[in-house]
Amino acid sequence: MYKIRSRFYKKGDMVFISHLDLVRVLERAFRRANIPMAYTQGYNPHPIMAFATALGVGISSEGEYIDIEVEKEIPLEDFMGRLNQALPEGLKIITSKYISKKAESLMSVINYSIYLVKLPFTEEVGVEELKNRLEEFTKLEEIIQVKEQKKKHRFKQPKTKEVNIRNSIVDIEIVQVEEKEAILKMTLAAGSNGNLKPEIVVEKFKEINGMPIELQEVRVQRLELLTDLNPQHLTPLDIDV
Amino acid sequence: MEKIEIQDILYKVEKPARYLGNELNSIHKTINESTIRYAFCFPDIYEVGMSHLGMQILYHLINNEENVFCERVFAPAIDMEEEMRKHNIPLFGLESRQPIKHFDFVGFTLQYELSYTNILNMLDLAEIPIYSKERAEDHPLVILGGPCAYNPEPIADFADIIVLGEAEEVQIELLELYKDFKKQGYKKDKFLQEAAKIQGIYIPALYEVTYKEDGIIEDFKPRVEGIPSKITKRIIKDLDKAFYPESIIVPYLNVVHDRVALEIFRGCTRGCRFCQAGMIYRPVREKSVERLSNLAENLLASTGYEEISLASLSTSDYSGLQDFVRGLIDKYSNDKVGISLPSLRLDNFSLELIKEIQKVRKTGLTFAPEAGSQRLRDVVNKGLTEEDLMNATEKAFESGWSSVKLYFMIGLPTETEEDLVGIKDLAFKVVDIYHSIPKEQRGKGLNVTVSTSTFIPKPFTPFQWEPQIKLEETSAKQSMLKDKLRRKNITYNYHDAKTSLLEAVFARGDRKLSKVLAIALEEGCKFDGWAEHFDFDKWMGVFEKAGIDPAFYASRKREYDELLPWDHIDAGVTKDFLIRENEKAQKGELTQDCRTNCSGCGINQGFIGGIC
Ligand code: SF4
Repeated sequence: MYKIRSRFYKKGDMVFISHLDLVRVLERAFRRANIPMAYTQGYNPHPIMAFATALGVGISSEGEYIDIEVEKEIPLEDFMGRLNQALPEGLKIITSKYISKKAESLMSVINYSIYLVKLPFTEEVGVEELKNRLEEFTKLEEIIQVKEQKKKHRFKQPKTKEVNIRNSIVDIEIVQVEEKEAILKMTLAAGSNGNLKPEIVVEKFKEINGMPIELQEVRVQRLELLTDLNPQHLTPLDIDV
Repeated sequence: MEKIEIQDILYKVEKPARYLGNELNSIHKTINESTIRYAFCFPDIYEVGMSHLGMQILYHLINNEENVFCERVFAPAIDMEEEMRKHNIPLFGLESRQPIKHFDFVGFTLQYELSYTNILNMLDLAEIPIYSKERAEDHPLVILGGPCAYNPEPIADFADIIVLGEAEEVQIELLELYKDFKKQGYKKDKFLQEAAKIQGIYIPALYEVTYKEDGIIEDFKPRVEGIPSKITKRIIKDLDKAFYPESIIVPYLNVVHDRVALEIFRGCTRGCRFCQAGMIYRPVREKSVERLSNLAENLLASTGYEEISLASLSTSDYSGLQDFVRGLIDKYSNDKVGISLPSLRLDNFSLELIKEIQKVRKTGLTFAPEAGSQRLRDVVNKGLTEEDLMNATEKAFESGWSSVKLYFMIGLPTETEEDLVGIKDLAFKVVDIYHSIPKEQRGKGLNVTVSTSTFIPKPFTPFQWEPQIKLEETSAKQSMLKDKLRRKNITYNYHDAKTSLLEAVFARGDRKLSKVLAIALEEGCKFDGWAEHFDFDKWMGVFEKAGIDPAFYASRKREYDELLPWDHIDAGVTKDFLIRENEKAQKGELTQDCRTNCSGCGINQGFIGGIC
């Protein structure tokens, strides 16, 4: 058994398929590409694959990761070439490498995610103003997200839980501001430290600082999934496994 | 034509992948002035429509034609429809995202009566007038086909063209005729009149119906000369030679049937008296094992699917089943390709086969005794005995199964309380059999599910004259069963009687019902097959507004000499045969399987010539 770790992108029309759809698209692409996948045991065998995180519908990504297991060693160029031929436009393997069978799972090595977030405003917002508001926002010690917990009983009101998401916001940077639109770069906690969605941050920013954001039209792109930020950015393909 | 911009809407709606139109093996053609545009519409949401084999066949068949571009259209989900109406976006073809109101043909497949309002709603959303008489020369031609087209009368006023029977050949003939007309100067009325001469093509506007005072049909006749007074269905003679796609579209979404579906034969020889499919798809025609193996290979390679399902009305009856399935197992079990055999009759032989398949992938276990007593099973000609059922369940439990589904109908002709008690008895006996098997041998967690649906008399069946039982009777029978089936390990499910009533009305309705459907559209009825959208009270209001009594269609016993709304259609089986069968049913006499003895249904005269 051999393990291959790959980085891929998901963009264009493919942002509209869900994580489960993606799993199926990949399973079928593996078959059409004749990749000698290893399968799970049992009555309902599935090709063995694991992801770093599940990407929400509507979010594009330049840096997704997947680990798969193959039964025979095949040259990586073959693997990538054949698979990319079988994948739809909008999904593409960018790099692959063999990793140790004992390598820690993607899920557990990921700590951060970097996003570009496009904020459409209902009225003009100047650079200075946005800067000040962001500063106010990031200076807060507590930013409370109210989470609904899963219902235990269908007749009871769902319980809610309050979570302070401030510590999951590592950094927010302004990339660009145009009349009624701004682009922010956010570095947020991801993976085993809890996943903070950029949409939540935007919602809170609107709610707390009264920003005129058109929530429905916010667009999010993931740039990177990282294991480490300091002293340098490391991806799951950079670490020794 | 402009491409409609839907990107922003896709971010707002649920499951946007329904509307992408670029799935694997979907077809995209360059469009020019002379391209004939065909919208193949399925009047339900994407996940249902994409599970439908017939659509996949016809989509690829039509696209095989040079200069014809066939695209898919499904009923947009409620949220999508809202967005479309809000932004004035007319219904569009998924592949080109261009409005179908500018297409040449808009075809709908009629799979179930409860989708009729969706058809009208889709036409409305497409900005196409719903009545054929209101459509102008440059509107698309609306074509209807599929199993419900055997009695197309309730929706006849909305159709320009109705296709009867198997469409593979006649669809192409129709397109050829259209191409000729386009070359020589197209006039809609001339074209339709020519089309009416093709076997299997019915142009409702060219026929006139008159009614007697009591609402029963008095006469049905052509308005013009040179077209047949009886319209004959089409069948494909040699299925091996018939078109079958080598690749099918693979959805991104998890649709209802998400696998390679391989049609192994058409028709059924069993002759169950309630079953419309068993009558209208006669005679039985098989595909050869060789052709099937070829198709399986190409379809699996082009889709990457991990499962293949054999489609037919009664899988066990396929003469090459053993050979074919063994071949599939040998060839594909290493690739972990699962095989599913729906509509399998369970006997020793098929259980052995399933056990082998189970090595690869698990499938469910279902039985359809249809009626609780032997007497009633004889009435409906379901040749399944209690002994068969007990033997099969015993074997199944011994082999480790512990979950069994039993399907029944209530309200069948001649049914009495005893027959219902029979349902309970059968279910209890199945539970007892399970307990009689040593613990070590049987699977854990017994679950026997009993499901009942209300009998719906259908055209071209021996029961086409029979009434459907009234709503109150259904409820009474359901509560009785609910009561009787209270026992550990038994679950009882029943189908809503109100939707069955509506189905019964439209299944055997006449042209007067088009008014009902038009009002239903105005009142906002749609997705009637979906429990969460179906509004019975609204429907009753619609009937009242139209001045139409649903009982006239659903629960009235019809006489043999009554002119039925579908009597101008020749589905192959003769009325004499159906009467004979109904008479035998009343006496509880069985009719043999076509493979043992031909009972002279009529399909061998004119359709296939001689032997069946
Ligand atoms: S002609 Fe005879 S054998 Fe053929 S379908 Fe009819 S009854 Fe069956």
